[in-house]
Amino acid sequence: MNMIPLALDGAWKVLVAGLLLGAGLPVLYAFAVRGLAMARGAGAIIGEQTAKPFGKVIAWVLLLVILLAVSYGISFIVATGIGKVVTFDHILPWFVDKPKK
Amino acid sequence: MIPPMTTATMILALVVVVALAFDFTNGFHDTGNAMAASIATGALSPKGAVTLAAILNLVGAVLSVEVALTVSNAVVNIQDSKGLPKAELMANGGTMLLLIVFGGLVGGIIWNLFTWLLGLPSSSSHALLGGLVGGTIGALGFAGVKWAGDGSKIDGVIGKVILPSLISPVIAMIVAATATRLIFMITARVEDKFREGRFRWGQVGAASLVSLAHGTNDAQKTMGVITLALVAGGSVSATDVYVPLWVKFSAATAIALGTYLGGWRIIRTMGKGLVDISSPQGLAADASSATVILASSQLGFALSTTHVATGSIMGVGIGKKGASVRWSVAGRMVAAWAITFPAAAVMGAVMYWIAAGIGGILGPLVVFLLLVGLSFYMWKRSRVNAVDHKNVTDEWHDGSKPEVAVAAHDVIDPHHELDAPQPAGPAAH
Repeated sequence: MNMIPLALDGAWKVLVAGLLLGAGLPVLYAFAVRGLAMARGAGAIIGEQTAKPFGKVIAWVLLLVILLAVSYGISFIVATGIGKVVTFDHILPWFVDKPKK
Repeated sequence: MIPPMTTATMILALVVVVALAFDFTNGFHDTGNAMAASIATGALSPKGAVTLAAILNLVGAVLSVEVALTVSNAVVNIQDSKGLPKAELMANGGTMLLLIVFGGLVGGIIWNLFTWLLGLPSSSSHALLGGLVGGTIGALGFAGVKWAGDGSKIDGVIGKVILPSLISPVIAMIVAATATRLIFMITARVEDKFREGRFRWGQVGAASLVSLAHGTNDAQKTMGVITLALVAGGSVSATDVYVPLWVKFSAATAIALGTYLGGWRIIRTMGKGLVDISSPQGLAADASSATVILASSQLGFALSTTHVATGSIMGVGIGKKGASVRWSVAGRMVAAWAITFPAAAVMGAVMYWIAAGIGGILGPLVVFLLLVGLSFYMWKRSRVNAVDHKNVTDEWHDGSKPEVAVAAHDVIDPHHELDAPQPAGPAAH
């Protein structure tokens, strides 16, 4: 029975990817929300009266990063659907044929 | 030349009909995977959510060009390594293979409807694979089933069904719980109302990704099964397998229509029954589901969207201190997961025996009528306590209500202690 170590090996990778992206992106989003709240000031942040406009800048930068990550996710889904994979071989992501096993 | 309408051709037609019917049940059974959290937090209206999910499923399904002929290959020995039906099953216009697939699909549909009636989010992939395994057992005995493959890679019933169903919900749970915990730490000082509103946007985005991934994954399975049947029936050449355009579009339409119908009973269990979800938790759950599903398919790790989505929702309940998971509901659900594969297999085998036992075209017709009758009965039963888009998010009552007073606050809330519920019964002073 070699399958359990094989499955655990796969599971390990999924867990790492899941924590990096599945928890990482929500964390960035949470910082973005906090940035937006700082920019708003009173009513958005507990015990804060003054608005700090730079919060908005931080928020938008973070949202941009998230959007880029999500578009990678979408291109990945599309690629799987049409039998291709996304590579980063040429720095910019691009669709290539799935390598034959 | 139009071929004469042989028995095999008629069975083939029935197989296509039940395959599309399965795809349809697959759609409404899984709407909740992507949309339960968004509906529960009010990020989307129930109707808006199912419409969005239906469109994304349609897009996802149409995008799937790659033939998924080998879906059933992982668990049963009815195809060769390229996914073509085995020669010995091709006698009589492929009747035996057609009946295996037919019995399997009918078994899968019956189980999907039954679990829907009970409002349990069980895995549609398990219902399909279980049904096919049952049909194969009915036709070829236990030797026809691939239990563990040859051990060199993750394969067979153990590798593709049992192990992933044990592992994937746990991974999703860990990811979602971690995300929830961190989100509430980071936004501890953000006012509840502001946070709730801003997180809805992210939640809808993450839910959309789950829907799209679902469309590509699940519709492809039905397309694969129909194509397999067409190859067996001789309508698609075995030397040059392709998914006919009509198969693609009808499968995509079936899953999208099913999704639009919305499995409200299941959405209710997932969105309201397990955990009371706030929008940051919704984002955490959907982001976790989307990444675990995508990472797994990239690594070729088979899994059920349903198991991942419910694992994520339980995770956000664990990750938020004060929120609670209704373990009685969770327990019922896990029990349904465990029996889905064997139960669908038993149905698949019984359906195969009835169809093959009576024989001819009459056998499959009897099974088909049985399916129609059972479906109608279960639909009728569901009207007794109907769940639809109007009452899907009503308060959950089953005696195991979580402590609402605590659930409204989070870990870091300095006033948390003051709001803790008083112990029930005579107070001890």
